[in-house]
Amino acid sequence: MRDDPPSSPSRREFLQTTAGTAAAAAIAGSVGGPVVATAGAGVTTADGPRIEGAVPITLRINGKDRKLRVDPRTTLLDCIRETVDLTGTKKGCDHGQCGACTVHVNGRRVNSCLSFAVMHEGEEITTIEGIGGPDSLHPMQAAFVACDGYQCGYCTSGQIMSAVALLKEPCGADDAAVKELMSGNICRCGAYLNIVSAIQQVRRKA
Amino acid sequence: MHTFEFGRPADAAAAIATAARAKTAQQGADVRFVAGGTTLVDLMKLNVETPGRLIDINRLPLDKIEATADGGLKIGATVRNSDLANNAVVQRDYSVLSQAILAGASAQLRNMATTAGNLLQRTRCMYFRDTAMACNKREPGSGCPAITGANRMLAVLGTSEQCIATNPSDMCVAMAALEATIHVQGAKGSRAIAFGEFHLLPGSTPERETVLEPGDLITHVTLPAPLAGSKQVYLKLRDRASYEFALASAAVVLTMKGETVTGARVALGGVGTKPWRSHEAETALVGQAADAATFRKAAEAALRDAKPQSENGFKIELAKRCLAYALKTAATA
Amino acid sequence: MPAGADLPRIDGLDKLAGRAAYVDDLPTPGAWHGATVRSSVPRGKIRDIHFDPAFDWNDITIVDHRDIPGPNQLKLIDVDQPVLAAGEVRHKHEPILLLAHPSVHKLRDALRAIRVDVEPLPAILDPAAPLTPDLIQYKSDNVLKHIDIRQGDPGPVFARAAHIIEGEYVTGSQEHVYLETQGMLAQWQDGRLTVRGSMQCPYYVLDALTHLFGRSRDAFRVIQSPVGGGFGGKEEYPSLLAIHAALLAEKSGAPVKMIYDRQEDMAVTTKRHPSRTRHRTALDKDGRLLAMEIDVLLDGGAYVTLSPVVLSRGCIHAAGPYFCENIHIRGEARLTNSPPYGAFRGFGAPQTIFAIERHMDVIAARIGIDPVELRRRNLVRTGQPLATGQIYKEPTDLPALMDRALDLAQYKARTQSHAEFNKSHPFLRRGIGFATFHHGAGFTGGGETYLASEVWIEGKPDGTVELQTAQTDMGQGTTTILTQVVAERLGIPTEQVRVATPDTSRVPNSGPTVASRTAMVVGKLIEQACDDLLHQLGRKSGDPEISDDIRRHASLPGKSLVGRAKYQKPASIQWDDKTYRGDAYATYSWATYVADVEVDLRTCRVRVTDFVALQEVGRVLNTTLATGQIAGGVVQGIGWALYENVVLEDGAMKNCQMTNYVIPSAGDLPPIRVVFEERPSHWGPGGAKGIGELPMDGPAPAIVNAISRAVTTTINEIPVTPELLLKATEGRGHG
Repeated sequence: MRDDPPSSPSRREFLQTTAGTAAAAAIAGSVGGPVVATAGAGVTTADGPRIEGAVPITLRINGKDRKLRVDPRTTLLDCIRETVDLTGTKKGCDHGQCGACTVHVNGRRVNSCLSFAVMHEGEEITTIEGIGGPDSLHPMQAAFVACDGYQCGYCTSGQIMSAVALLKEPCGADDAAVKELMSGNICRCGAYLNIVSAIQQVRRKA
Repeated sequence: MHTFEFGRPADAAAAIATAARAKTAQQGADVRFVAGGTTLVDLMKLNVETPGRLIDINRLPLDKIEATADGGLKIGATVRNSDLANNAVVQRDYSVLSQAILAGASAQLRNMATTAGNLLQRTRCMYFRDTAMACNKREPGSGCPAITGANRMLAVLGTSEQCIATNPSDMCVAMAALEATIHVQGAKGSRAIAFGEFHLLPGSTPERETVLEPGDLITHVTLPAPLAGSKQVYLKLRDRASYEFALASAAVVLTMKGETVTGARVALGGVGTKPWRSHEAETALVGQAADAATFRKAAEAALRDAKPQSENGFKIELAKRCLAYALKTAATA
Repeated sequence: MPAGADLPRIDGLDKLAGRAAYVDDLPTPGAWHGATVRSSVPRGKIRDIHFDPAFDWNDITIVDHRDIPGPNQLKLIDVDQPVLAAGEVRHKHEPILLLAHPSVHKLRDALRAIRVDVEPLPAILDPAAPLTPDLIQYKSDNVLKHIDIRQGDPGPVFARAAHIIEGEYVTGSQEHVYLETQGMLAQWQDGRLTVRGSMQCPYYVLDALTHLFGRSRDAFRVIQSPVGGGFGGKEEYPSLLAIHAALLAEKSGAPVKMIYDRQEDMAVTTKRHPSRTRHRTALDKDGRLLAMEIDVLLDGGAYVTLSPVVLSRGCIHAAGPYFCENIHIRGEARLTNSPPYGAFRGFGAPQTIFAIERHMDVIAARIGIDPVELRRRNLVRTGQPLATGQIYKEPTDLPALMDRALDLAQYKARTQSHAEFNKSHPFLRRGIGFATFHHGAGFTGGGETYLASEVWIEGKPDGTVELQTAQTDMGQGTTTILTQVVAERLGIPTEQVRVATPDTSRVPNSGPTVASRTAMVVGKLIEQACDDLLHQLGRKSGDPEISDDIRRHASLPGKSLVGRAKYQKPASIQWDDKTYRGDAYATYSWATYVADVEVDLRTCRVRVTDFVALQEVGRVLNTTLATGQIAGGVVQGIGWALYENVVLEDGAMKNCQMTNYVIPSAGDLPPIRVVFEERPSHWGPGGAKGIGELPMDGPAPAIVNAISRAVTTTINEIPVTPELLLKATEGRGHG
């Protein structure tokens, strides 16, 4: 019914391909300014032990400098989750359509799935782990408990990161304004009204 | 995702020199500038965009909003959408732009997306985004299954036999109505492009969406001095309340004397293959009484050449209503 | 803390701090990624599979149907579904090959380097389309399940009816969009397989693995990870994914993780069955139901999966909570070459309840009677039978329940003020509508007897107890609720109760976490297991010595202290699966939901402006959690009613993104007032009944009833998109 998989190029040929790509990069570097990174064929991100062609970068995550090596294809989200092992930030859609991956970059909320980690060299990244732990809840986390602002918990990190950032954004006083600014965080369990209550509770106290 | 080289150029000249080596300009090109990444990274994950080289322009000094000598506004290419929408001058003098941006995407995405990136936003057509399907925009000559397929969200204005993909931008609709100018630095120097001439109709070359040439770097957008006393409205219709692309939208900039329309700039979103300036609607408005009959006439004029497909015919009536409603809201503001 | 006192979510702090480890968060050193090669056509013969010779295949693990050690069957109700297509495909996206590799990038490249040549065969994409012999793919007629429910004899009654009202009601599919996509991690060690993942039913997964690998149960261990939303979508599909991961893990010799991306998840996994329900109803001159003929048609998709039981629940609820002496309900789930439809919150009932509750409003309008009055005259009363002959013996006065909901929603005043408003406003139209409905708790008919669920509660040497069940928490609060039940029954603080992670090597089979059965059915068993534990200790609930006793007993060498309970059919429940007569469910929850809407005729946009959800669910165990669950169901109902639109191409979902399949976001919601009427039921722990699915049933009919009244037209289809409204209100929106 099907062919068996064909025999593949040898490991040696494989390495030659990689080298070829690197050579092209060197030429590019002389024309287009400093080329920071080259990704070679077969390079993996954090999903395997081999990270040939990976690029050194330094990210400041939750107040700590992290010297990392990443494939340029690694998104900020995958870097946080797979390379740095902070799995509190979730992947809900990987295309900027749900908000589960929301983190702060230099204090502003962004979808970490839609940019590459290498674009954030030297920038200040804050994830849910940097907001507060079970014993040191951020007021927003405490308000989510008080208002039952979550069910399955999968969108929750993103909701809280969004909510914390919202506190510093221009936002009208009423619930409608909060709903609009939280519309980028989808919750299929439908805890929205409790999430809005939690945010308003924190805003009133602030 | 295909492998790529990542570079951060020292200055605009270096960026342009690298990009000029590509065969085509930006969209779909082998060398691409990246700023917010909201369109590009999305499409790279889908293998729709497969650049061999990314040039990160985030750290070039293109992130300012400044007054121009002629009383207008200069908006840097990497100004984030949220900063532009919340800028006090924009909110006061170009409120349709602020409204349009805030009607698009989510707070997070607006924090990432940039002015220039938004100008180059690509269609949400399901066939374009799916490499398993034919698409004349992605693979010229392969065909357009959208014309006989799932086309509810697709365009009714400016379509061709080859492509009916909608331009998804909200910002661009407002900029069309504000008569913005796009400023480009390229391998052959700088030039200014009138907004209406920047985006191309698909025609028989849907793969080419703008007049940009290889190496062209959008450096900024300028807005002309605000029209004194103009009334500005952006209205967007969609299925859910927020965080969704438009079924139809309208940007309206009206000037009036008493009950008479003295000046009108009208653009539509969600229905055109490019941000759709409607001179027909404007002609139908100027000099006329600002009433429901005039607004409906303007709306009819705007959609006169609309061509429905199997599933999106309703958008013609919806767009008419959207425009009439926006005009009425502006006139009574 | 006693039940009802709103114990906060036990899993809460971990989730808020990002510490709950969902399957994709588990550390997996050395794990490979798995991926699936799928059919691109709805039906056909696989001619050839072409591997790009330019691609390096030597380190890619490839699995096809020949690698399956036992029967190539996904064991569920039937065994008609292969886990990997063998020669023939029956739906688009049907799995054909599995690949694994350590690098996710290389894996994706490999997917693109494979081409499957399929010779297309005639496909059936509409369950109502006429059948030709070449389209037959299941038994002799493509009917996956047929159900007949008869009460009395409707036929002759129509001849003497004052009114005969007919209607047809159509509901679209619905995608779960749980925020956590499907995911499984499989690892073989010493001939034993461990599977961890996102699932509702660990024992379903275990059964499916046992069947496919042809090995005994102790060769497999299935462990549930925290579940990022299920809503029915993780009832049956995880079995298939677990098998795929297990096959790849076996062949590659490495642990294999399969995490679907959003697009794949939306395209290939189960969804709510699309439905078409026809009603023909005879009434007397006063609007009393004389006879009902109801035809329910479900699109089942390409394989049987759970369609028979979805159809069953749908049919049983199809006549609503009304008394009618003569009823004939005919239900069919038919095969199409679509990916199989499956469980989704409500399980058939939302479809048929949409139909009956729209139909009641249609009847009211046609015969000129107030819709409240029409329902009041027909709601079932003590001693009267429901459609299956089940006699209504519940303590709830249904007309009074309805009246209370309508009062809460100011139904009368708003009906009047909306009429005034609509007369004067140029383009806004307001309407208020409602639905009265019920939802059976637990498995249908003999289902619970067949399951024979078991629960254990084990005393620990530290004086605590550990509850051992297969019940999964996917956000609905199972862990918290069951902790409360144990604490209350034993009379100990909740801090002394722990809940074991569902792990088939450690917990008994207490049945799946579906069908609104956990709190009620399993909760009741937990009470019995607690009683057994108390009996073994010779103690009564709340005795201060319980903890010390547990400590002492559990510390005895070689001794274990376990309270046990197993489901036994109560003698009072009678059900005949052949005739579909009897007690379809031990009990039901009862509700009236009221929706207030505003329709903008210019934009054809509907806004739900207010919502009241009143229900009688027995005793509420935890008001905060129950309120959240009801409100969440209402949110999903709003989406299903207004804009969740599964676009099919070649029978499969085309709009597989969260930008073009839109579900409600925060801005779409009105205030949702959730109110409980508490009447303890003897079927559940502390008097509780099931609530999980109930809130999915009422919103769509209530909202569409409201829209229909607002724009004075009849809309019998969901979702009510702008284009549908535009057509329904043609020429009225120029404003």
